[in-house]
Amino acid sequence: MNKKPSKKSSSIENYSHLELFNLGKIFFKEKKFIDFRSKGNRSGFEAIKDINLKIEKNTFVSIIGPSGCGKSTLLNLIAGLQAPTSGKIVIDGQAIKGPGPDRGVIFQNYALMPWLTTIQNIEFALNTVFPAKTKADVKERARKYLRMVGLEKASNKFPKELSGGMKQRVAIARALSINPNMLLMDEPFGALDALTRSYLQDELLSIWRKNKVTVVLITHSIEEALLLSDKIVLMSSGPSAIISEEISVDLERPRDREKIEQDPNYLKIKMRLEKHLLRETRAVEEVT
Amino acid sequence: MNKAISTRLTFAVAILSLLIFIILWQVIAQQGLLVKNFPGSFKTIGSLIWWVSDPFFDNGPNDLGIGTNLLISLRRVLIGYSLAVLVAVPLGVLMGMSKLAQSSLNPYVQLLKPVSPLAWLPVGLFVFRNSEITGIFVIFITSIWPTLINTAFGVASINPDYLRVSKSLGASKSTTIRRVILPAIMPNILAGMRISMGTAWLVIVAAEMLLGTGIGYFIWNEWNNLSLENIFVAIIIIGFTGFILDQFFGFLQDKFDYSI
Ligand SMILES: Nc1ncnc2c1ncn2[C@@H]1O[C@H](COP(=O)(O)OP(=O)(O)OP(=O)(O)O)[C@@H](O)[C@H]1O
Ligand SMILES: [Mg+2]
Repeated sequence: MNKKPSKKSSSIENYSHLELFNLGKIFFKEKKFIDFRSKGNRSGFEAIKDINLKIEKNTFVSIIGPSGCGKSTLLNLIAGLQAPTSGKIVIDGQAIKGPGPDRGVIFQNYALMPWLTTIQNIEFALNTVFPAKTKADVKERARKYLRMVGLEKASNKFPKELSGGMKQRVAIARALSINPNMLLMDEPFGALDALTRSYLQDELLSIWRKNKVTVVLITHSIEEALLLSDKIVLMSSGPSAIISEEISVDLERPRDREKIEQDPNYLKIKMRLEKHLLRETRAVEEVT
Repeated sequence: MNKAISTRLTFAVAILSLLIFIILWQVIAQQGLLVKNFPGSFKTIGSLIWWVSDPFFDNGPNDLGIGTNLLISLRRVLIGYSLAVLVAVPLGVLMGMSKLAQSSLNPYVQLLKPVSPLAWLPVGLFVFRNSEITGIFVIFITSIWPTLINTAFGVASINPDYLRVSKSLGASKSTTIRRVILPAIMPNILAGMRISMGTAWLVIVAAEMLLGTGIGYFIWNEWNNLSLENIFVAIIIIGFTGFILDQFFGFLQDKFDYSI
């Protein structure tokens, strides 16, 4: 009788945090009410196929690939916002069926609700995920996370009054406030200026260290991936994009933005990534 | 240019143009340049002052103060319009969210929208046998389309990011509608409500010529009295009221303008 739980907990240790098995996504054209041309054979656009990937607990993984290859599609599948056409997504040994508060999502365009103030945006997330919490509790917790990203003073401002970097910090605070153990980020710093980007990258790293979360980050930037990740996943150009390579980044932490560029290991990986991206981007340009 | 000076200048120009208009009107009427016995601006202003100084008298349905008639019209519009908004917003949300609702309701909307609401007046009289309810019914039909169409359009074109955030947090459908969709489409709803109100105010005047009381009937009655200056008084008052109503919605729209 008391053997069972111990067996269960020991087997959990064998799971990776996130596992993708033969994941594929085909976008089908929306079926028209009356459609004479397509007689039953539903042809679609295969964005990604046969994606297999394991991500360990509390690691930082970046996904990099040419524009339009299906990075956002992959992230949306992991977030549970879309259903895969084939394959499955397993988190802590459980196949997922949809979105859940165990995963915090940070979208490319911040996705703050413009009719809510900074703090109300976070409260919206908290109220949705923890409906039993009291108003005061929710407010206190929202404040705590705003403080964490250094925006306590802006709590009663509306998104339109904030800079891009501030908006992204609110989005990060919102995603973290629900206490997820996985953070899914879709090019979160792409639209920011270089200084703000460096600042937020450092902030993200310190949050990652403190909060014990697994991070999946989509990025265009090789430097960003190298600075932040334990592992970099390379995607081929679409359609039917696959994972073409997984590269471990065994550079010592904390990584210093200046010094790291002299590290021969860093330069070696960087070269490899650049070559890959160039090849895959060329493939895209030649198709279109 | 200095802003204070420029607004003062705009104001001065407006006043000047009004004065010129009043004088020209008076001269043209006095000289009989248009038709004989066309009321001049002085006579009209005199009438306006007379009607406005005692707006709420009641000497039977054919002799009501202009304020009383205005309130009768406003009441009909407000009731019919409010009922229309109460129906149009939920229906618009439904049409925006559900393909089934969209394809089953859209044909009726497209077919009925271009019909003058006055065509429904005999239908209303036949069914309700009551001019008051018929007036409200006509305004209801008038007001429903712009609000319905704008609401449905707002839902269909909502920023998908908001819905993704809501979904990623595991929000229920009702939470998403109340906390995300409705606030997000507030600007669309208000734009629709503004057009609905504008049209309702146009239609009530025409409808009331056939209904018995109200500001529209006042015009009809003064036509029977061949009192053109009183009709001008009504036109001024209708225009002013419509302007105030429209400004009110403009104010609301500014409040709910989320853009930068
Ligand atoms: N809902 C959809 N319906 C049809 N096709 C889609 C849909 N979403 C994405 N696609 C297609 O799938 C492919 C991958 O899109 P996705 O947005 O995942 O690319 P991405 O790698 O994130 O691109 P980017 O680097 O520009 O952000 C694209 O060709 C896109 O046109
Ligand atoms: Mg993308």
